[in-house]
Parts: sequence; structure tokens; C-alpha cells
Amino acid sequence: MERPRTIRRDDGLWLLQRMRLIRQASERIARLYPTDVMETPVHLCIGQEAVAVGVCRHLTDADKLFLGHRTHGPALAKGLPLPKLMAELYGRSTGCSHAFGGSMHLIDLEHGLPGSSAIVGGSIALGVGAGLASKLAGADFVGVSWFGDAATNAGVFHESLNFAALQRLPVLFVCEDNGYSNVMPKSAHAAFDIPSLADEYMTTMTADGTDVLAVHEQAGEALAQIRSGGGPVFLHCPTKRWMKHQGHERCDIVGNGIDEQRDCPIRKLERVLLDTHLCGAGELEQVRLSVEQQIDAAIAFAESSPFPTPAQLEVV
Amino acid sequence: MPWSRFDSNYTAPTGGRRITYCEALREGIDQAMGNDQRVFAIGLDADDKFGVFGSMSNLSFPERVLGTPISENAMTGVALGAALSGLRPIHVHLRVDFMLTAMDQIVNYVAKWQDMFDHQVKVPLVIRAIVGRGWGCGAQHSQTLHGWFAHIPGLKVVTPATPYDAKGLLLSAVADDSPVLFLEHRWLYKNTGDVPEAIYTLPLGKANVLHRGERLTVVASSLAAIHALTAIEAHGLDVDLIDPRTIKPLDLDTIVASVQRTGKLCVVDYDFPFGGFGAEVCAAVTERAFASLQTPPTRIQFPDRGMPSSGVLERAYYQTPDRLAAAFGALIEGAPVARDLIGAGA
Ligand SMILES: Cc1ncc(C[n+]2csc(CCOP(=O)(O)OP(=O)(O)O)c2C)c(N)n1
Repeated sequence: MERPRTIRRDDGLWLLQRMRLIRQASERIARLYPTDVMETPVHLCIGQEAVAVGVCRHLTDADKLFLGHRTHGPALAKGLPLPKLMAELYGRSTGCSHAFGGSMHLIDLEHGLPGSSAIVGGSIALGVGAGLASKLAGADFVGVSWFGDAATNAGVFHESLNFAALQRLPVLFVCEDNGYSNVMPKSAHAAFDIPSLADEYMTTMTADGTDVLAVHEQAGEALAQIRSGGGPVFLHCPTKRWMKHQGHERCDIVGNGIDEQRDCPIRKLERVLLDTHLCGAGELEQVRLSVEQQIDAAIAFAESSPFPTPAQLEVV
Repeated sequence: MPWSRFDSNYTAPTGGRRITYCEALREGIDQAMGNDQRVFAIGLDADDKFGVFGSMSNLSFPERVLGTPISENAMTGVALGAALSGLRPIHVHLRVDFMLTAMDQIVNYVAKWQDMFDHQVKVPLVIRAIVGRGWGCGAQHSQTLHGWFAHIPGLKVVTPATPYDAKGLLLSAVADDSPVLFLEHRWLYKNTGDVPEAIYTLPLGKANVLHRGERLTVVASSLAAIHALTAIEAHGLDVDLIDPRTIKPLDLDTIVASVQRTGKLCVVDYDFPFGGFGAEVCAAVTERAFASLQTPPTRIQFPDRGMPSSGVLERAYYQTPDRLAAAFGALIEGAPVARDLIGAGA
């Protein structure tokens, strides 16, 4: 695969800002997590930011993105405001799900995020449903099904791909392949090659999920095909999960092949931006600092937000 | 393997070895495998280093422990097929919520296979699932659902409350020739109690009277039974506390005999209310002992909505021993029970 080494400045800066937002917010969450201010299980995506950001750069607020349990990255990339995420994690009523959802159940109707599910596999079908709705209504939005490598184990994965392909639905399937189902390696959960299998159903593309420019380029092509009526596309993004499956600690699986210097999607993009003289070092540092300020503000918002009251449990 | 020789008296022993609920399960599974080489365990993450929260760590027969992909529906069919082909599978789910992707296999296949063929075949299949709230886990990782499963003919539903019951009922479930759903509350895993080292089985369908009293009958299973017992002991309440041990078959005789003495019934059921286990017990007791009831039966259940995530809402959603004690006290005195004590939305 040829990696694009240039990018428009506005795209490059957007990709960098969103990746930094996800990374730095995740690191802050990891730092705060042991204090139990967030009473909810978190599945962080440090190391995987390029996939979320590279794809979401091409999505509009009308496009509907359905997520699984590893939500923070793609939700922030799609436009979920950070204060609403933080407040949700802090269990406050100003959270995006009004403190009912927690980390695994995020929603933002304004930004095309109709919800996320923590039962692996099922939400793949929901993205197909969004594609069907778009087709039946003669609309031009796209459904996006977002999932990990192990979700391909489930029957609903095959049923969803099959139906989307039969109906030529405007659906983008994004497989964020971090190689693990909790601590089980892909070799123990899938007897098939994911992109080869997907290719049986539909156009399938692969992009290095640690390289945001590669993801951005492939996702752009995929969505161009989908939006022009070419039917669904499967985008396979091999990437690396630096953290444990759940919680605030680094991944400790022996032989996970992670090299944080080499595999960091942010460092890779920053290098391109510097090499091509699109940005200077000072500007990159400015991005980092301004993201830190956004995080401080989001946490201040969460901490000063009210807790829900038990009256909110009244049956609706 | 004549499993019947292990049948045990059903009162828990005292003064012996104390182990946790989790260790009791592990020992039961290990002994089941040792006793009968047709027994094997299968499930997502069944063979990883976490060992299903420790309940399957370091088993003596690792070659009979199989991990699976995230394919619960197909794996249930696989387990059923193996059971129909001479093995005795234990299929395990880290959370009952994940098992719901297998409802087609469980309801249409596993539960029906014996009735469809007039019981010409045995289906010695145990499906273990860990139930109950976690920590801000929300609506898809906190359910119990025993009442709903008990609705399906062909499924036995077992809900052990103590370490002694966990081991004895697990071994009974494996020994049973029909499908058994075995639901373990995760908040019980660290509780300790007396558990004999020898292999023993407890009858499915026989209740355990956890506390004797005269003024109120409380029926509660699993974590609710432990919370009710804590409430009763802490406040010295004159309550007859019955843990049915198995939701189905249900030991109605023991419950009815108690209500005939006390004249009052309260079911504490950590599950959804509508058409649930609480409703079933209240209806059945009303049918059988209407004349004995001095007041309408009471149900203490979850509100009729999915579980919230925020700690503040979780603490309001779930009952505690203190709140149960307040409710029992009011019922004994014939005083009205505050709405939030019986499930805010009930
Ligand atoms: C049906 C179901 N079975 C099991 C689980 C428990 N579980 C949660 S995440 C996960 C691993 C998922 O791996 P993958 O789909 O590759 O996504 P990743 O976590 O790597 O992002 C498992 C087994 C679940 N949530 N749902």
C-alpha cells in the first residue's frame, strides 16, 4: 500500500487536533481513573486514534455512526463535545446520556451518533439499518458500523454484511482491528482473514490504522464510492491497542508487538507536517496546549455539574 | 458415575472448612470433571488467565476447558449437540447479558428439545451465567433475568445464595439430565461459608429456610436472600426467610406453609417486576393460601426500567439491607411501605 505523504493544511491540522483530543483526554481519564471519580468501566483507545479521526474527517453530522463498547475515540472524532463525554463519565446529569449510559453508551443526536452498545456485534446491524433508512427515504446520508476484530466472530456480522451487499446499501463498515479480544489474540478467535472474508461480500479496503493519512485517504475513497451509489464498503484498519482491554493500565500482553515510538499515529502525522513545512514545532506544541486547556475546561464542567436525582428513575 | 449417591441433606453445615462462593464453584466444577469424564466446560474466555473471575482457574483437566470466539448463539447449539451426543457440557457466560445473543438456541432448541421428542433424549447441559450489577455498567451489563428464563418450559433455573449451595447445586445441575440455567450473582463471589470437601449434591426444587420467624414470610433468592438475612439479623426481625434456591422448579409447599403461619408475604426479587418471579410467587400463594393472607402480598423489585450507570442513580436503583429492614419493619407493623423501598418505579 502506498502511503500518501502530503495533506492539505486544514485537513492535517484537523486530524492532529482530533487525535490529540482523543489521546490527551484518554490519558487524563487513565490518570484520574484510579481515584474512582468515574464509576464506569472504560475501554480506552490510546494508539488507535488514527482510525477514528481518519474516517470521521469524511463524515457529516447527517451520517449515522453506530459504535460498540470502545466508544470515546470515534465519538469524539464524530463531534461529541468533550464536556458531555466527561460529564457522562463523572455520572452527572449534563452527560451526553444524562448519566444513564456511562462510558459504553454514548449518544449525540446533533452529530450523527444515535447510540452505542456494549454487547459485541449487535450494533453492526444498526449501521446497516441506517443505510437502509437512507436508501428508502431517498436521503444522502451514510450508515457507519464500527467494530473490532473479534466482532467478526458473531453471526450478526455476516448477516449484516450480506444484507448490506444484497441491497447495495450506503454503509461503511469500519473494522478497528487491534488484534485482540480482551487478552485473546486474533489467531485464537478467527479462523479466517478478515479482509479476505469481507471481500466476498463487498469492496474491501485496508489502511494502516496507525497512520492517519493512510486511513484518511482510504476512507475518502470508500465514502466517495458509497455516496455515489456504489454500495457498501468494508474498511479494514489494523491498529494497536496500547492499553489493557478495560481500565487505565498499559497492555501487558507478552508479544503484543507495540512500540510506542514507532507506532504512534500522532508522532507519525507530526513528522509529516514538519517535513512538508505545513506546520512548525511551535504550532504543534500550541495544539497540544490548547487541547490540554479544553480537557481542563471539560473536567471543570463535569465536576461542577449536578448529579442526577433518584427521581429521574421514575418509570418514563 | 452414579451421581445420585452424592445426594445431601439440604441444611448447610457449620464449623467446618470455610471457602468463598467462587472457590466453592471452582471445586464443584473440578469435582464434576473428576467424577465424570463426559463433563467439559466451554465458553468465551473460559480458558484465559482470568478463569471466569477465578471460578475456573487451575482446573485439574485443562484439556476439557475450551475457549470460544464471540459466538454465543452458535456455541449454545454446539453445546446442545455435544449434550445430545453423550457429553455433559457446562457452557459459561461472563455475563448473562452476553448470553442473550443465544436466546434462539436457548429457547427454541435447548429448552424444547426434550418436549419436542417426548423426552426420548437426555439434555445434560448446564449453562452458567454471572448475573447482577457491576460498577456503573449500565443497562447491558447488570441484568439478572431469572424470572424471564423461568417462564420458558424446559429450563431449570438455579440461583445459589451461599458457598454451600453454589457447590451442591452446581454438582446437581451437572448431574441433571435436563437443561439447567445456573445463575451466579457476582456480588456473592467473595462471600465465605462452610463447604464440605467431599462431593455432594443438593436437590433442585427444595427451598432453604434461612431464618425462622412468625410475623412475616420473606421469599428471596441469590443476593436478595443474603441482603434479607443481613437485614433480619441486624434488626432482630421476627421474619421467616425462605430462599427457594431454585426459581424453577419452585418449592411452593415450603412457602405456602410459612405464609399459613405468618399471614404475610413479601417477595424480594432483584429482577425486573413485570410478569416476574415476584409476581409468580404472589399469584401462586394467593391461589393456594388466600384465606391465610392478612394483607396483600408485597413485591420488592427493580424499577421497571433499564439500569442506570451513574453511581448516584445506581445507589437509588438497587436495594440495600437497610432499606429492606425498613420495608420488613413496616410490613410487620402493618404500616404503609414507602415507594422507594419497593423499587422506585414499581
Ligand atoms: C456478545 C458479547 N460477548 C462477550 C462480550 C464481552 N466482551 C466485551 S468486549 C470483548 C472483546 C471485543 O473485542 P473486539 O470486538 O475485537 O473489540 P476491541 O475490544 O478490541 O475494541 C468481549 C469479549 C460482550 N460484550 N458481548
